[in-house]
Amino acid sequence: MPTLTQPQTLIPPSTHPHADVVHRLEAGGSMLPDTPENLMQIIGIYKAYAVPMDFYWRDLLYIAERVFLNPIPAFKYFLPQEYLDLPNHYAGDTADLRIWRGEATAHPELLEFMEKGELKRKLPKLFHHLWHDRVNMEFAEACMRAMLWHQDMGGRFNDYLYTEEYKAACDRAIRAYFKGNPAMLGLHKLFPEMFYEKCRELSYYSNLGLFWEVMAPVFFEMSDIYDEGGFAGVPDAMNFLVNGIFAVAGRPIYHHVYVGDECFELIPKSCGFTWLYEAALPYVEAVFYRTAPFRGTKSYNAQAGQVPQDQNDFHYGILYADVFPVGSAGIPPTLLMQDMLHFLPPYLLEYYQQHCRGEDDMLIQLGITFQRSMYNVTSAVIQALRAALLYPLDDQNPRHLMANRQFFEAQMDRFVRPEARLRDVQRQEYR
Amino acid sequence: MPTIVDIAVNTEGFSTLVAAVQAAGLVEALQSPGPFTVFAPNDAAFAKLPPGTVQTLVQNPPQLGRILKFHVVAGKHTKDDLIKLGTVDSLEGAPIPIHSPIEDEAFEVKNATVLAADIEADNGIIHVLDTVMLMG
Repeated sequence: MPTLTQPQTLIPPSTHPHADVVHRLEAGGSMLPDTPENLMQIIGIYKAYAVPMDFYWRDLLYIAERVFLNPIPAFKYFLPQEYLDLPNHYAGDTADLRIWRGEATAHPELLEFMEKGELKRKLPKLFHHLWHDRVNMEFAEACMRAMLWHQDMGGRFNDYLYTEEYKAACDRAIRAYFKGNPAMLGLHKLFPEMFYEKCRELSYYSNLGLFWEVMAPVFFEMSDIYDEGGFAGVPDAMNFLVNGIFAVAGRPIYHHVYVGDECFELIPKSCGFTWLYEAALPYVEAVFYRTAPFRGTKSYNAQAGQVPQDQNDFHYGILYADVFPVGSAGIPPTLLMQDMLHFLPPYLLEYYQQHCRGEDDMLIQLGITFQRSMYNVTSAVIQALRAALLYPLDDQNPRHLMANRQFFEAQMDRFVRPEARLRDVQRQEYR
Repeated sequence: MPTIVDIAVNTEGFSTLVAAVQAAGLVEALQSPGPFTVFAPNDAAFAKLPPGTVQTLVQNPPQLGRILKFHVVAGKHTKDDLIKLGTVDSLEGAPIPIHSPIEDEAFEVKNATVLAADIEADNGIIHVLDTVMLMG
């Protein structure tokens, strides 16, 4: 069944270096070519991503809301039952808007892995933790830090973190949290900016947690739809994401802290911050495009201009990643690949075994698949922005179509630099 | 003369907007002396949004209020005033670009087409839109 609309001919063809992709976007397609192999890969990896993500969002909220300013947060990755049972607002019977038809509490595959790990043995939690046989929460924190560090990426969230209103709310929470602890209260008095800055970081924990709370059920549902034969091609998968982006665009982004039974609203819902403007768009910019060079992957000489002067030009995200060196130990994307490896659907496992070095380079292969899948997510964001800010693809006004064209070309300009993997993902043999 | 809210309530095709304004708690504000310029998306404009969009917003009044405030500008600006200004600042804070009509094309505000302009109210003026505008 064709899933693309006929390309319109009301305006002349694009002359952009990525004109083929621009035309595909104009026809309602994705940056990723529409092939059954691509569809199988991206859906499989969404499912494998959603399971650890179900841990990430719960733990990010746990750290933001409960661990808070604990000076020695040794157990911050030990998710209490309360947070495993925390009902997802977009899954289950209690959902505000039901995206996934599955349950609202932690995913069964996640619970099984948390109990037995890679060792497949039920051992004390502390042992699994120290053996590093667990979900790599460090990856989620690396994403949060990318958002914190790049900061000013649109939306009003970051500006709010420097208002007197925010500081006053932090102050109340800090005093309550360190009640009866003269040493920490003394520190707060001596260096008032220190804990505020920590609070800002924790607000980004909450921001990312609330963002991923939505994405996990979206990816689970996509996997289920695919298993039922519901997606005819890559554009269908992209359009599901576009509709999802709109459906939850207005979800509040906030930061609540609990000290005992008391709730302190560092960022109240009444600020009007939304999932789309204050979380999703900054996340895509910080994590998919920018991030920062990872230690140990490649040496950069900043003095020789090998690292951009302007943070806006950073290009170390998944859309530019050379996945091969990133497949080494301890690097944030590798931690994610390791997490996804535990939850691959059987069809993807079988697929990797047939290619390259089979099991030996599976982390690299799934990293490339992940890159493909994120080109599709980015396509969904681009199409959603086009739909929200510009014109329908079947608009009959050539001036409107030209405005869409300029928008798509401006987006493609970001993939003209040689590090971009847009050309690579056009080829199926790129693995 | 009726207020902006009175006109919206008593005109067919604005039930979603009226419900949204009520859910966001903005009825009183839009009945105040103002004056305001309101870009009012009709029911068809809201219906063009993907399923769930309006539901999530209605569940969250402050977030809904922000989107609605993007459709309101302080002061009473007619179509001709708007074209002269080129850009106006919404009560949400983000700017709204105004396009000068080219030849016999329709009057456009951001990516929306104005279906009916200059509807006078006691406390301002209404321009009817075919699309819900979003900031950015």
